[in-house]
Amino acid sequence: MMAEPLLAIEDLRTYFYSRSKRAFIRSVDGVSLAVAKGETLGIVGESGSGKSITAMSVMGLVSAGPGVISGRIGFRSDRVERQLLEGLDTCVALRREGGRVMAVEKDDDRWAGQVEKNMTGIRGREISMIFQNPKQSLNPFETVGRQITEAIMLHTSHKIEQEAKEKAIEWLDRVKIDSPRLRFDNHPFGLSGGMCQRAMIAMALSCEPHLLIADEPTTGLDATIQSKIVDLLAELKSELGITTMLISHDIGIIGRLSDTVAVMYGGTVVESGPAKDVLSCSPEGKHPYTAALLASIPSSDAVREKGHLQAIEGDVLDTINIPAGCRFYGRCSRVTDKIREKCDKQEPDLREIASGRRVRCWLYFE
Amino acid sequence: MKSYSQQSGEIGEFSDLPFWKKANSVDLAYVTYGLLVVTLVIASYLLGAFKLLPHDPQDIDLELMMAPPLTPKHVLGTDFMGRDMLSRLVVGIQAYFLPGLLAIFIALFLGTILGVLAGYRGGKFDTVITYLTNLIDSFPRLVLILLVIAAFKPDIYVIMLVVGITNVPAVASLVKGKILFLKQKNFIEADIALGLPTGTIILKHILWHNCRSILIIQATLGMAEAILMETSLSYLGFGVQEPTPSWGNMVLAGSNYFMKGQFWPSTAPALAILFTILGFHLLGDGLNNILEGKRDK
Repeated sequence: MMAEPLLAIEDLRTYFYSRSKRAFIRSVDGVSLAVAKGETLGIVGESGSGKSITAMSVMGLVSAGPGVISGRIGFRSDRVERQLLEGLDTCVALRREGGRVMAVEKDDDRWAGQVEKNMTGIRGREISMIFQNPKQSLNPFETVGRQITEAIMLHTSHKIEQEAKEKAIEWLDRVKIDSPRLRFDNHPFGLSGGMCQRAMIAMALSCEPHLLIADEPTTGLDATIQSKIVDLLAELKSELGITTMLISHDIGIIGRLSDTVAVMYGGTVVESGPAKDVLSCSPEGKHPYTAALLASIPSSDAVREKGHLQAIEGDVLDTINIPAGCRFYGRCSRVTDKIREKCDKQEPDLREIASGRRVRCWLYFE
Repeated sequence: MKSYSQQSGEIGEFSDLPFWKKANSVDLAYVTYGLLVVTLVIASYLLGAFKLLPHDPQDIDLELMMAPPLTPKHVLGTDFMGRDMLSRLVVGIQAYFLPGLLAIFIALFLGTILGVLAGYRGGKFDTVITYLTNLIDSFPRLVLILLVIAAFKPDIYVIMLVVGITNVPAVASLVKGKILFLKQKNFIEADIALGLPTGTIILKHILWHNCRSILIIQATLGMAEAILMETSLSYLGFGVQEPTPSWGNMVLAGSNYFMKGQFWPSTAPALAILFTILGFHLLGDGLNNILEGKRDK
């Protein structure tokens, strides 16, 4: 039923080795996701649940010292078909002593070379990315217009500077920056945060990529600008039909823009399915974490009734000492006596409970 | 409509004013003086190179030894062998100009490469380069130069080679520090995600846009340092050798007569050294403040 996925992530594990703790920080721990062509996948979760690291793994931006990746990321468009993690595991050797990883030896140069090889022709051209904090994502010493022109000349068939410049102005206009011809010559510090984010979006889309990864595109902007950026993204989505992977901790934005939603907790996907089912109000057939997350969205009614904001009890999972059982067990309010034993000892897998809906919870399994 | 858009353009472009309109007047004065010195240095170099001098600097006139300044035909007087001071002063810059440029070029070229490797690649490169620069830094420079002179010969180019190499660590650590600072900002990551080639990112986005001001400043300070180093060596008798004039050996030659009241043979080159080095330092300082916007903050 589902169309051929553009991006298929299978069992992605991105670990960072902590020398002082002699252990892996398991930022992403077995994530499987698929983004179909033309679809918007929303990834939602608390800070530290591994959303951004997933995106960075896809883009090959995980290089920081002891980062280790395993799993498969397949990308397939009508222009290229590529395994994005190919050969990376051969660059890393683990030294174990008594069942503990005592050192990670990583051949940084080969790793960098392999990433470069895997990503040539992908970055920018096939997959482009917009980041949170737009002001820091643009080179402060170069005018906005020239940065966009540079990207266009690099990735599209517009190789003549004048032509690329016209194209850049067209894109600035398209993301609704007013008087784009004047803004073209502005440096990033001359623009507001919202305008910088618009320019970033223009830069990302001007290369006509197949997949857009938006990593918290509205974080760091104030509320009115946020809603304008979301409007813009929604409009561009319906206009261009671009496949998007949208990462946010703001459920409102995810609900607005996504077709399917994946909820992440502690480095894994705990629930995925069509947006309207996953984000509906009824707790029926939902992972307890999703239900708790939805219940904690502040609303004026809830505050008036209870007099305080609803929060999820407990802390975010410590990704070094991951429990043997369900990752959410310690904070779960819906454990029944019947399944308590299982929740504590054994991790549930992500199972399909209804068409297109997968949940990782013992509640719904026999 | 048109006036409105023009107006908004002006407001938007206020921060994009050319730097000399935003700069502090003191800094501008520094830079103006510095540029004046640079112009004089270049002009003197060209005059010397094309032999456009009032007298031959080597021309000995035994009738007119130690003529005081403002003597007819000898504006700055003559030295103990009756050679024209002005001509020797102008030719003296030959000792610094090309060798100084060599020192600057070596320091900036090697320093930038090492700095980029240490900052951008990091890891093993960083460790090795840090050790290397510490090693060079731990040698007293003057001693190193004297050793090299003892081993080879007192040639100004050899000296400047050593000056350049000993300046490499300073440039490398500046560039490395700047890159580490820039890496905290996301735009390099964004550039990578956009698929820009690594060469473009390093050369254009890092070095050209973000490091050029510190490199220019290093260049001006490097010139001042080269002059000072040659002067100290010449004064000790290890620099440029007589009869080729350099400001350092002119001070040395004139110093014997200073206490006898014949001050000009040593004072003129000493003042030339003072004002030239001052000029390069003020140029570097002013450029630093203007390009990096230090005074506003």
